[in-house]
Amino acid sequence: MEEPDVEPAVTVVPGADPAAGQLCFAWGPTEVLVCETRFGRTGGSRPGRPGSVFVFRKDEDIYIDALRKLFNESHGIFLGLQRSEEKLAGKSRKAHLVQVSKNYRSVIRACMEDMHQAASKFVPILSAMELIWNLCEILFVEAAAAGPLLLRLLDWVRLHVCDVDNMVREVLSSEDPSKHELFWNLNNMQTLTEMELKWQHWHEECQRYLQNGTFASSSHMESICKILLGDEDAILEKKELMTTWYHFLVTRLLYSHPTVKPMELRFYAQSSMDLFLGRECSPEPLDTILMAAFAFEIHEVIKECSIALSNWWFVAHLTDLLDHCKLLQSHNLYFGSNMREFLLLEYASGLFSHHSLWQLGVSYFDYCPEYGRAYLELHIERIPLNTEQKALKVLRICERRQMQEQVRSICKIMAMKALRNNRLGSALSWSIRAKDSAFATLISDRFLKDYCERGSFSDLDLIDNLGPSMLLSDRLTFLAKYREFHRLYGEEQFSEAARLLLMLLTSHIAPCFFWMTLLTDALPLLEQKEVIFSTEQTYGLMRCLEDLTAGKLDKQKFQDDVETMKVEMLRLALARNLARAIIKEGTLEAS
Amino acid sequence: AHPQVSVINTVDTSHEDMIHDAQMDYYGTRLATCSSDRSVKIFDVRNGGQILIADLRGHEGPVWQVAWAHPMYGNILASCSYDRKVIVWKEENGTWEKTYEYTGHDSSVNSVCWAPHDYGLILACGSSDGAISLLSYTGDGQWEVKKISNAHTIGCNAVSWAPAVVPGSLIEQPSGQKPNYIKRFASGGCDNLVKIWKEEDGQWKEEQKLEAHSDWVRDVAWAPSIGLPTSTIASCSQDGRVFIWTCDDASGNSWSPKLLHKFNDVVWHVSWSITANILAVSGGDNKVTLWKESVDGLWACISDVNKGQGGVSAAVEGQQNEQ
Repeated sequence: MEEPDVEPAVTVVPGADPAAGQLCFAWGPTEVLVCETRFGRTGGSRPGRPGSVFVFRKDEDIYIDALRKLFNESHGIFLGLQRSEEKLAGKSRKAHLVQVSKNYRSVIRACMEDMHQAASKFVPILSAMELIWNLCEILFVEAAAAGPLLLRLLDWVRLHVCDVDNMVREVLSSEDPSKHELFWNLNNMQTLTEMELKWQHWHEECQRYLQNGTFASSSHMESICKILLGDEDAILEKKELMTTWYHFLVTRLLYSHPTVKPMELRFYAQSSMDLFLGRECSPEPLDTILMAAFAFEIHEVIKECSIALSNWWFVAHLTDLLDHCKLLQSHNLYFGSNMREFLLLEYASGLFSHHSLWQLGVSYFDYCPEYGRAYLELHIERIPLNTEQKALKVLRICERRQMQEQVRSICKIMAMKALRNNRLGSALSWSIRAKDSAFATLISDRFLKDYCERGSFSDLDLIDNLGPSMLLSDRLTFLAKYREFHRLYGEEQFSEAARLLLMLLTSHIAPCFFWMTLLTDALPLLEQKEVIFSTEQTYGLMRCLEDLTAGKLDKQKFQDDVETMKVEMLRLALARNLARAIIKEGTLEAS
Repeated sequence: AHPQVSVINTVDTSHEDMIHDAQMDYYGTRLATCSSDRSVKIFDVRNGGQILIADLRGHEGPVWQVAWAHPMYGNILASCSYDRKVIVWKEENGTWEKTYEYTGHDSSVNSVCWAPHDYGLILACGSSDGAISLLSYTGDGQWEVKKISNAHTIGCNAVSWAPAVVPGSLIEQPSGQKPNYIKRFASGGCDNLVKIWKEEDGQWKEEQKLEAHSDWVRDVAWAPSIGLPTSTIASCSQDGRVFIWTCDDASGNSWSPKLLHKFNDVVWHVSWSITANILAVSGGDNKVTLWKESVDGLWACISDVNKGQGGVSAAVEGQQNEQ
């Protein structure tokens, strides 16, 4: 049973009247809505006061833009880490992971430098993040062993402390050659035992000097000697030169236990903090995090960081790295390796509130095997498709991941948008892509109706090059074939055109409102010098005309004289053609 | 990290009376509000702005809820009111108009909810006359109505659709053929019950009765699907309790409730975030609390939005696992 040990954050709605009733709440895709209301009542708010709806966003989302460089650059590092998984093993793998960790840190530092100019409030936060990450790198990723451990910690403290370690500077500048030797040896990476022996020897020598009163004449030198011997009180006296308890810790270790083992760190850390802070001061969040790190309680570190930092970036990336180091054991915690996924999902979800950073979120979801895909599906369909370009970008992402439902949905939305803006060609393309036959039929009808009114088609290129997609709907097929008829006529392939026209009429795929147009299209063919329609075909046409007029008589008389005249002309032309066709077919061809 | 939130925009709706509902559209670009002043208003809220797009009149009583349809059907909004009517509004050529009005209920219509877009354009409506009506758009401006009379005795207060799940595997259907979806939705009523309805052979049947509340159920919310075979429903009631119902098997037979929390006042609304990881609860005690489930199945309150009533609004923490 896990108890949340933090009080929930309380947000007060500004300007809201506490006495006025309840709060109505709704989720937006990236924001939330809150407004005052009185549930269940039919009315009666204070007259004259306009109703306000408050739109809330997570602070994290508001500041996302300021940190975009961090997000963008770390994204590349993250991807590289995921993809390099299998290639390395053993020592080279560890070296690789350490390098990845250093890369993350350099991105943090680069951001810090950028923001420094603007005196941004993020600088201290980034600084703290780098401090923590650096320590985690030393203790967890590199897993520095006794010996190099202290060196790393020294570097760590030096890097992060503004005031230079005056102790070290003093020691280095002193004239005692054996002290110089000690540092020289440390850098030469002698074996631990050799180093310990040398150090012991040196330590005893110092002790002797002190006891002999060699430095009795100078309290300053005596003080230094005591410090070198690791005398805690002496070191503490110089407290004001050390900015933090961990600075004190490392200094102490340097002079009393330079060969400290990783597992011993927690004790020295705890006592250092107690000594340095004294009894009155309670630890700050940063102190708690560092202490957990020194104690090698990785999950505590992650948990405390999650609470202390208001953004998910840090814990998500650090946890992912630690997971790659195989440090997150599933039996240690309720959700083991799922911790990594949990944090990545939170981080990536937050990115979707941003108009362009959402693209980074996509790849993070890709590397969350359990829920990544579902989260992606739910988030990606909320991305506003403001432009065709953006819609295509989102589509490509969906297509590459075989997200068929989302592809269809996006295409349908774009088709509807295009139709509402009267861009028929675009609407048609989108319905074809969506494989939406109902919509394709609707748009084809629109094309045909427009043709009836205007006598021409828009978007001819599209219709003429449909290819197999014309089969998506009968109406669309008709539209494409009708255009083919026009083309054949234009190319003077009259008998082909005639055959097609008749087929269009008799196959019943033509919409009713278009029959008259089709029949009228037969006229120029009927009036050619050469006989084009055979008797058979002519009978077919006549039948169609009769069907059409019979149907019309049932409903209403012809609306206008133009229609009546057309019908008359057609009857005449058909009759004439029939006569000519009979003659032609009855005549033997001259051989 | 627990979410710290700040106000980024305050929309002055100029409603002349109490607002009962406010909903963002799919993309967060438009806001619809409805009020006791009988109007429905639509605002463009992009980039922190607020431009009134439409002031829709048509209801003759307080309007309780508004619901946006999926954008693939165009810009469509549904509203329901004390005046017993359900109105569907549509944006056509840049202007919003009434496109359909349903007057088949005998009493206040309390809740409207659009079905998953995969099913077509279908609206479920719950009314104080105890019935639930399902309005389906069939094309060419025509709507078909199916009614479940006496869904809840005394009245139905809330309806919420289950996410669309295609039965069997996700094989690509040949174009033009609709996959066989099993349509389900949940309802809550004055009979203290949460009911689950399933469509079978074109008829709606009561599939489950979920009993746990001791007073009127005010709201139900079916959680979005994140790919698991489990289904989750949240319900809240006049009895101050919020239950999370889960069903583990795909056949939908065994639902078990878990008490999220017992509040000191009526709980009016529950709603899920889009990835279903946070549940928002609006209570009679002047605040909204946000709840999250940890991986070991326990719920904890992570945030509290309230109106600052002095020391009364103590943050709610911890989780309960009472039966």
